[in-house]
Amino acid sequence: MQTLDVISVNIWQILISLINLLLLFLILKHFLYRPVRKMLEQHRKTLDDAYEAADAAKTEADSLKKEWKSRMRGADAEAKAIMEKAEKRAEADRESILNETREKADQMVRQAKADAAFAYKKAEEQMKQEIIDVSAKISEKIIGREINTEDHHAIINSFLDEIGEDHDGKQ
Amino acid sequence: MLELSLGIILGCCALGAGAAMIAGIGPGIGEGNAVAKACEAIGRQPESKSEVTTTMLMGCAIAETTGLYALVIAILLIFVAPGRLVNILMNTLGK
Amino acid sequence: MKEKNHSFKIKDILLLLGMILPLAAGIVIKVLTTPASDGIEITGARIFFRLKLPVQDLLITESQVNSWLVMISILFLCLFLTHGLKEKAEKKRQLIAEWIVEKTDDLVQKNMGSYFAGFSPFIGAMLALSAFSSLQSLLGLFPPTSDLNIVAGWALLVFLLISYYKMKCGPLHYLKSFTEPVSFLTPLNVISEIATPISMAFRHYGNVMSGAVVSTLVASALQGLSLLLLRWLPGALAKFPLFQIGLPAVLSIYFDLFSGCLQAFIFAMLTMLYISGSFSPDEYNAYKARKKRTVTQAKGGC
Repeated sequence: MQTLDVISVNIWQILISLINLLLLFLILKHFLYRPVRKMLEQHRKTLDDAYEAADAAKTEADSLKKEWKSRMRGADAEAKAIMEKAEKRAEADRESILNETREKADQMVRQAKADAAFAYKKAEEQMKQEIIDVSAKISEKIIGREINTEDHHAIINSFLDEIGEDHDGKQ
Repeated sequence: MLELSLGIILGCCALGAGAAMIAGIGPGIGEGNAVAKACEAIGRQPESKSEVTTTMLMGCAIAETTGLYALVIAILLIFVAPGRLVNILMNTLGK
Repeated sequence: MKEKNHSFKIKDILLLLGMILPLAAGIVIKVLTTPASDGIEITGARIFFRLKLPVQDLLITESQVNSWLVMISILFLCLFLTHGLKEKAEKKRQLIAEWIVEKTDDLVQKNMGSYFAGFSPFIGAMLALSAFSSLQSLLGLFPPTSDLNIVAGWALLVFLLISYYKMKCGPLHYLKSFTEPVSFLTPLNVISEIATPISMAFRHYGNVMSGAVVSTLVASALQGLSLLLLRWLPGALAKFPLFQIGLPAVLSIYFDLFSGCLQAFIFAMLTMLYISGSFSPDEYNAYKARKKRTVTQAKGGC
């Protein structure tokens, strides 16, 4: 079998190898670079989509969080208002109860005072009557004569009144 | 006469090939310098090792070109030239 | 679902076979065409076919066939890597495919700028073809890169690209660039322009070829040494390749694996540098603007 020299130049061989390189370039471009690039592009796109979706979800979550926060703040205010209201009512209740009791106590005191005054008057009356009776009897005995009881009464009453006036004046 | 001519042709081809390979000295020194400088550079900046190595290999390959020219000529003289020259000799003798 | 899985696996195996079979075919061709009595010698590629054409004969050689086999192998590798691509990378092969694409994109972006971003498949093809061609010698095949014609074809393509991008700013501008900086340097400029593809081709070819030559020389020396040492043994044992067993592998790792990959990388790197150096987008834009202005001026003049 014939062999080439170690160094030989052949135009046709050079052309063939040039075309070979171009052919391999096309092969690589079509069968390796194009599908891989397409796949990478697709991959990038899905990644972008995923990021976008994540961003959207995050903003939604943020807005929800804000809403809930504001709602919570409202609830806090409401609770505070309720508490205040309850406190106020309790205060009012206390006040009213206190007032009532005070009034009752006052009433009772007044009642007691009135009762005491009444009892005092009654006792005075009684004492007067008794004094009148006793003095009438004493004077009957002293004088020994029967005077008109009605006159007696009148005299003693006037006398007692004098005393009473003195007594009242001293008081 | 023929033997003498053949001997001269073959001997001169071999001598020529050997003389051509003297050119091997140049790339040897040059590449040695390049590698030495590259080593210095790597020693100074170890972080740029890969770039220095790549550049050094490129430079070495280019510096090697002259040596390779000499090699090609030596190969021509050893493997191609004797046959051609002997053919020419035979043709002239035949004529 | 089960059925689908099954067919998926069958297709996988077929693609893998498509990757391996061309290389096996290359080995078979090599074995069939190697003459039985051949010792170790340094020759070029074998010629399989010869067609009479003007200028020179069209030769189909071992290097052409091997590079076609490599191309078929790469095609099936691409199909295998992109088989069953999913949006979410699950398989290792998809990760590898994405790695390749992103790495070459990065490389091109870094060395050529964003204007040449479309060059990444071209650079990838160059890297793959060059590296796999050189690595073929690991299988004992003839590496196509150690044939000057193959590498010269690639270098010619690069040269055409460089010229195309230089001429993009107008042919006059291209011709004028030869006379710079001084007009009498024109011949030197022309020579340096032509020297670009030649030096690229010779660099790649010379590296791979010198590796092959050194490997062959060392292998033949080891063969002679083992023959010398085992001469006293009877029969076939005397031809036992004692020193040829492990030692050439070390050389092979350097010359075939390291040097092959490095040369592929350097070839691609130089391609990128030359192409990006031959064209600057700013200049091109200025040229386009100038042209537009002259056109509008001409119209205004009419």
